Amino acid sequence: MISADNKLGVIFFPAYDWAIDATHPEREERLLYTQDQLREEGIFDISGINEYKPEIAAQVDINRTHFCYPNVEAVTTESHLIAAGGAIKAAQLVMEKKVDKAFAIVRPPGHHAMKVVHGNRGFCNINNEAVMIEYIRETYGQCKIAIVDTDCHHGDGTQNIYWHDPNTLFISLHQDGRTIYPGTGFVSERGGPNAISKTINIPLPPQTSDSGFLYVIDEVVLPILEDFKPDLIINSAGQDNHYTDPITNMSFSAQGYARLNEKLNPDIAVLEGGYAIQGALPYVNLGIVLAMAGVDYSHVREPDYDPEKIRQSTKIDVYIENLCREIMDQYRQPIKPVGQEGDFSSRSKSVYYDTDGISDEQTEKVMICSACAGLRIIESRSSVHDRCLGIEIPINACPRCQDAGHRSLEDAKNAMRYRFIKLINRVDREYQTFNQEELSPLSKYFF
Amino acid sequence: MLLGIDVGGTHTDAVVINQQGIVAAAKVITVHESLLHSVQMALEEVLKSVSPRQIRKINLSTTLTTNAIIEQKLDPVGMFVSAGPGINPEQYKIGKYYFPCQGSIDHRGVEREPLADDQIESYLQTCKANDVRHYAAVSKFSPRNPIHEKILEKKLQPYADFITLGHQLSGRLNFPRRIATAYYNSAIRQPFNRFADAIEDSVKKLGIQAPINILKADGGTMPFSVSRRLPVESILSGPAASVMGIVALCDIHEDAIILDIGGTTTDIAIFATGAPLLEKEGITIGGHSTLVRALITRSIGIGGDSLVQINKGKLTVGPQRQGPAMALGGTKPTLIDACNIKGLATAGNKQASIDGIALLAEKLQTTPPELADRIIETAVSSIMNTTRELIQEINNRPVYTVHEMLTDRQLAPEKVYVMGGPAAAMSGTLATAFNIPATVPDDYAIANAIGAALTRSTMELELFADTEKKTLIIPVLDITEEIPSQYSLDDAVSRGKTSLAAYLRNFERQDINEDDIEITEADSFNMISNYFMVGKNIRVSCQLKPGIEQTYRKGLETS
Repeated sequence: MISADNKLGVIFFPAYDWAIDATHPEREERLLYTQDQLREEGIFDISGINEYKPEIAAQVDINRTHFCYPNVEAVTTESHLIAAGGAIKAAQLVMEKKVDKAFAIVRPPGHHAMKVVHGNRGFCNINNEAVMIEYIRETYGQCKIAIVDTDCHHGDGTQNIYWHDPNTLFISLHQDGRTIYPGTGFVSERGGPNAISKTINIPLPPQTSDSGFLYVIDEVVLPILEDFKPDLIINSAGQDNHYTDPITNMSFSAQGYARLNEKLNPDIAVLEGGYAIQGALPYVNLGIVLAMAGVDYSHVREPDYDPEKIRQSTKIDVYIENLCREIMDQYRQPIKPVGQEGDFSSRSKSVYYDTDGISDEQTEKVMICSACAGLRIIESRSSVHDRCLGIEIPINACPRCQDAGHRSLEDAKNAMRYRFIKLINRVDREYQTFNQEELSPLSKYFF
Repeated sequence: MLLGIDVGGTHTDAVVINQQGIVAAAKVITVHESLLHSVQMALEEVLKSVSPRQIRKINLSTTLTTNAIIEQKLDPVGMFVSAGPGINPEQYKIGKYYFPCQGSIDHRGVEREPLADDQIESYLQTCKANDVRHYAAVSKFSPRNPIHEKILEKKLQPYADFITLGHQLSGRLNFPRRIATAYYNSAIRQPFNRFADAIEDSVKKLGIQAPINILKADGGTMPFSVSRRLPVESILSGPAASVMGIVALCDIHEDAIILDIGGTTTDIAIFATGAPLLEKEGITIGGHSTLVRALITRSIGIGGDSLVQINKGKLTVGPQRQGPAMALGGTKPTLIDACNIKGLATAGNKQASIDGIALLAEKLQTTPPELADRIIETAVSSIMNTTRELIQEINNRPVYTVHEMLTDRQLAPEKVYVMGGPAAAMSGTLATAFNIPATVPDDYAIANAIGAALTRSTMELELFADTEKKTLIIPVLDITEEIPSQYSLDDAVSRGKTSLAAYLRNFERQDINEDDIEITEADSFNMISNYFMVGKNIRVSCQLKPGIEQTYRKGLETS
């Protein structure tokens, strides 16, 4: 019998009765062949690899992480709560030392879901990794966590959620935003004023293959991880960099994914995208499971695998070398202070929920703070819910940011300008919604 | 009348039952070197009071194949394995003649790489040179497409006395288990067949004209002719016979715990709404996991003869066996001695029990009755903890749909059934500990043979239909056929049921009601290519669950 070097927990939840719609890539069939492959390989007979049932995430787990308008029920289905619950289960297993590592092979995915949620964008409603990370911090205490997003699409949702958090390092490797959804994730996106260089973007050219990805891991990801010294490493394990993926343009293989995982050595991996459900997912998932468990994966390859066919050009070699050098130079530059301590730094952005056709104009303010992640206030005006305000007092907030948060809440309530006011108060574990329509039936006429 | 025989490690039990109850019973010592002799002895014993002509059916549970595997008395097997990409097939090497071959079939059942004739030919020469006569052919994903196993069968035929093909063992996906199961099936075929011939012969000589069935670990039987093709299915049927005995003796309708407390161990089984639960995968034996289905049972080292010890001030009961009890002339105290002191058992000399326990009680500065309480408590809490873990494991089994996640029924036992030697002594304490009523059936001493006699056929089949490829396959029945592109899940479900019933009806006097066939999986997935539906991927599993002859069970109730 084969025995695993690392005890691995696999949470497999394929949601065989849930789809965005019948022919959507995010449909019932997506993990069917992955399950067939894992079963046929006898994965769960390997001593040390065990399968676990997901939890169902509670409302509070979502409300701790997101501002959902008007509420969690309206923007999620049970399937979303189970996918997030699968990630939570992975965290429980690892944090309670029942396993060394865990892999949540769950759907639907989550990494395009931002702090504010009005609906579905990029197949995502709630951010599975963020819900999990905040569950970890709430349950087991504050810790430094690194998320390495290896999905082909920029993890813009996760980036948005952790933009200001100096205790969360977010690194995204993805196909260059100039060539693919969601069109972001450039080198210049480096994190908010309280968390500069805690966001790292590595936009790769189309046709990047195994050698390019592994080069980036060696030259950028591992050195920055070494510098950050996280307590936990999370892999947002999207599988759509595969050479057969129907909606992307990369040339990554199952061997490459397994090797990447081995180098990265994550504590927890959570499945994100990946839509070559027959030609890629069965082999990539198998490769990742074996790599995480420390079992020989050298015979895992796609039936049509031909390393010559997917080899990247020397032009791409050079491009990636230069890119990595640029990112590391920028990373090593001394960080200039931005703005005055205690001032608000603000930015505005438009967010489009492509699946649900919702547009949202957001203005975000964060208090510049050297003692905590800073009070965060997001005003959101979407095509479905106008006049929304979210106030977040971050975990371990300093007294000033706490006070400012409570004041902002009172001011907002008194202003009578908002339809919904949401409070995330991580210090006192309060997650509240103030629905103001009833209070002031006339207020809508003032807007 | 039905005749049941259970060849156990210590005793061979036989029982004849008619609709009024038990007609004859026999218990003989098992002669390990000649199981055939043990069976003959038991048969002759019960036939003293029963006419052989009246026997309608013989069900036989035997340890022959189990012993062969555990004692490594296995024939050499030429294992031809086509793996394709995945885990290195060398990891599953089993036996001396193991040959991973070129060739690959994927999860859809599409051949991605053909077999290589030269390679197979050269491996065959090695087998031939070493006079290998038993073979097995296993390919990855053969339940989706058995083409490689069938090609191999043709090539092996000229050299083989017997060939096992992987897909005929089970339609479930698990390549390593398929390899091990196929290997064992071929490796024990010859001794099983000789045994079967001899049994058939002696049954005829005794004047019995009834069909013979062989017990399986899933609590059911298979026809004799099937067992000659699938001898591996006869392994570890003993615990299943006991569990089916409980089903026969007690009218179970609820979630329940079954405890069979023997001298050395306690075997635990679990029932859900009156039906024994099956393991998700299959038996592990001789260090290899197989596809042989089995009832869920757990064994722990607590029994009537468990040794009671004080180690560094800590009380332990078992797992070492120390029989007999001091009350029966033994030298060290056992669980039975503790029961004796508390008046829960009345075995032999009570004073001897007291004296033995007193020596230990001194060490802990307590009295014998108090220590006896603690001993029983320790034993009961071990049994309880293992049982709870098992129930938790069952309740935590993964599910794969949102619907199942939200509606998942949790097992909640309402009753504990206790059998075996110390059953009567322990039942009260167990009932209190589990906080549910305990029942001790009558005739529990030969429950295993009763279970063997009354259990019925079981069978499982998987059906896989792919309307894009227009094929349907039922691996265990070796059916591959064309289907129309509009083939539906309903078509597949009814096809599965009728195929299973038709197969079993084929055998003499098998009376199968299609309503008894349970559908355990029925899924249909739309397959999409470029945003268009190209077909349906349909999976159906159905089974005839273990059950007993109800008309005979009634007789046992009144007897």
